[in-house]
Amino acid sequence: MPWRKVLYEDQGYPDNYVDSSFLEQMQKNLNTRSYDYWNTVYESGAVTDHISATCLFVVTFVYLEAGVLSPKLLILLTVASCFLGYIAYAACAVHLGETVQKSHLWIVIRSAVVFLLFTFSLSPILYTLTESVSTDTIYAMTVFMFLGNILVFDYGTTAAIVSESMSFNLAMFGSMCLASRLTTVLHTFSIVSFAVEVFALWPELRRKVQATHRGCKMGVSCGSVLASVYALWTVSTVAAVLLGSVHFVVTFLCPRWLIQLQPYKNNIQGPWDEVNIVDKMEVRKML
Amino acid sequence: MVHHVCMVSDFFFPNTGGVESHIYQLSQCLLQRGHKVVVITHAYGRRTGVRYLTNNLKVYYLPLLVAYNQCILPTLFATLPIVRYILLRERITIVHGHSAFSALAHEAMFHASTMGISTVFTDHSLFGFADASSIITNKILKFSLADVQHVICVSHTSKENTVLRAALSPHKVYVVPNAVDSTVFTPDPSQQRSDRVTVVVMSRLVYRKGIDLLAGIIPELCGRHPDVHFLIGGDGPKRILLEEVREQYQLHDRVQLLGSVSHEDVRDILVQGDIFLNTSLTEAFCIAIVEAESCGLQVVSTRIGGVPEVLPDELIYLAEPSVASLLVALETAVDDKRRGWTISPRERHERISTMYTWQDVARRTETVYDATAELPSSSLADRIYRYSHSGSGWLLFVLLLVLGNYLFWQLLEILVPRRNIELVPSQVAKSPRREPT
Repeated sequence: MPWRKVLYEDQGYPDNYVDSSFLEQMQKNLNTRSYDYWNTVYESGAVTDHISATCLFVVTFVYLEAGVLSPKLLILLTVASCFLGYIAYAACAVHLGETVQKSHLWIVIRSAVVFLLFTFSLSPILYTLTESVSTDTIYAMTVFMFLGNILVFDYGTTAAIVSESMSFNLAMFGSMCLASRLTTVLHTFSIVSFAVEVFALWPELRRKVQATHRGCKMGVSCGSVLASVYALWTVSTVAAVLLGSVHFVVTFLCPRWLIQLQPYKNNIQGPWDEVNIVDKMEVRKML
Repeated sequence: MVHHVCMVSDFFFPNTGGVESHIYQLSQCLLQRGHKVVVITHAYGRRTGVRYLTNNLKVYYLPLLVAYNQCILPTLFATLPIVRYILLRERITIVHGHSAFSALAHEAMFHASTMGISTVFTDHSLFGFADASSIITNKILKFSLADVQHVICVSHTSKENTVLRAALSPHKVYVVPNAVDSTVFTPDPSQQRSDRVTVVVMSRLVYRKGIDLLAGIIPELCGRHPDVHFLIGGDGPKRILLEEVREQYQLHDRVQLLGSVSHEDVRDILVQGDIFLNTSLTEAFCIAIVEAESCGLQVVSTRIGGVPEVLPDELIYLAEPSVASLLVALETAVDDKRRGWTISPRERHERISTMYTWQDVARRTETVYDATAELPSSSLADRIYRYSHSGSGWLLFVLLLVLGNYLFWQLLEILVPRRNIELVPSQVAKSPRREPT
């Protein structure tokens, strides 16, 4: 009688018997995906976009501190780009077949006004919040905050490290640090509102625009890479070259690396694994 | 052949659970078969020193520091003096460690190997390979099991898992299932209510036990069948989820949450039900379904881990781990119950009482001990060779541990010589040794 994988009866085989079906149910590398190089390069745009936006923010701060850019102009630019951005956002939403309600516009305007008022009234506090900390410490802290922000930012994957609120908080803390190095309350207000635009609104708009068309995504990515490198060039040549090489590595070398590492994957699955609940979402819906 | 066995685990009475009762029952049956058995565990509160349980089962409660989850703080070398003393005093020939989580079991087996005493290890649980904690535990297991003579697993799935995790030869690994004390888990049809169908759930209320699935099942099944009631024993972080469901669907009169149930009350709750539901997401053997079956209940379970091996098809309704599939299985069970197409509780009990007995477990474990005793004892060179091929990483570090322990042992042989250790007089077994049936 052939051996069966059961415990409830004595089959006459010794207890350490190893059947030919041993480990038959083991599966290897089930979830391995094969990546296409150019597709990965194209998708890496999500990372370069965010690095570019962060760099543009830092350059804006440098200009503001040097007095090249007046805070009033920055506020004007922020508000104007907010309006234009919202129109673009709505247009993209319509293009993607989503319905945009008029009430939505009203909610957006209301929260924008509330936010601006709050920031304006809190600016005197924000402005002196980290004043007593030495400038070196502030810069070091800012660098770490922005690096952390880039690390945990939601690039559209479901990794455990991703946390949208964490990345936004890190970015805001970094901008608060920078804000305390500026000279007036108006400066602080302008940089904080600009920070919200860059770290909260721009990623939303960017995702929407990029969802419409493949060309749009490439256009936005290339545009922001060029803009960030150029903006940094006007401040420091070395930094610009460094940023350019970072963009090159992220766009072209990292995808190559990812693909080269795939054969090293050794992932085994079998009946001993904790199973995933198949209709988990339906269970959630019922509650 | 009479063996002097030393069971070692962090988990033992007064703690309760699967591993604890396994060690106790196995020791009792081995004593009955004429072997000499002692148990080593760590001190539980004021319970420290030597105690005797039923049939003179001697238990050493060692005064060691408990670090986490009832496990001792792993120090590797620090337990050698006391473990060596006990092993010599009791003239132990086989050290039998239980549970991969138990640091004390791993340390005692390591010391026994150093002293040239044979070791056997029983693995009670399944592990994955993907998350950080499994990777670390698997590394430790690889190191620990490199020098163990034989390993016992509770199901075939568990064996496959252990062989992969510890990189062992499958011929070294035996499968000996768990058992139930069928004199305790007896059916009592008078407790069942004829006007309703009661579904019993008995498990810790945690994610791994599939309580999220249960939360999806309860409102659906109660909605479709007005006579279905739920009786849920156990406690845990997911209890709040079940309470929410009960609240939202106004099922207070039909879903009873009992909270944590002590082991001796389990049987009295089981017999109140008609159907036992197990929604676990991972399980090496699942003793709960066997206990329920022994109490005469119909059993519905998810098809996971070792569960499909445990009961023959006519005694269990298996389903995929989804709400939809479990509902189908439950409704089939309810339907069969109404039409009277079920096997009687008495017959279920009879079948289980011959299927899984502790006497059988003891007999099969004895075979493993016999096989272990026949193996030639290994020299230090053999051991180093085995460790260096176990793939547990950091060869130099591993060698340092093995040699360090060996030298420490040699030092103890000089400081506390064997001849000064008083031996325990061997007790003459009161009842003659039973022959295998």
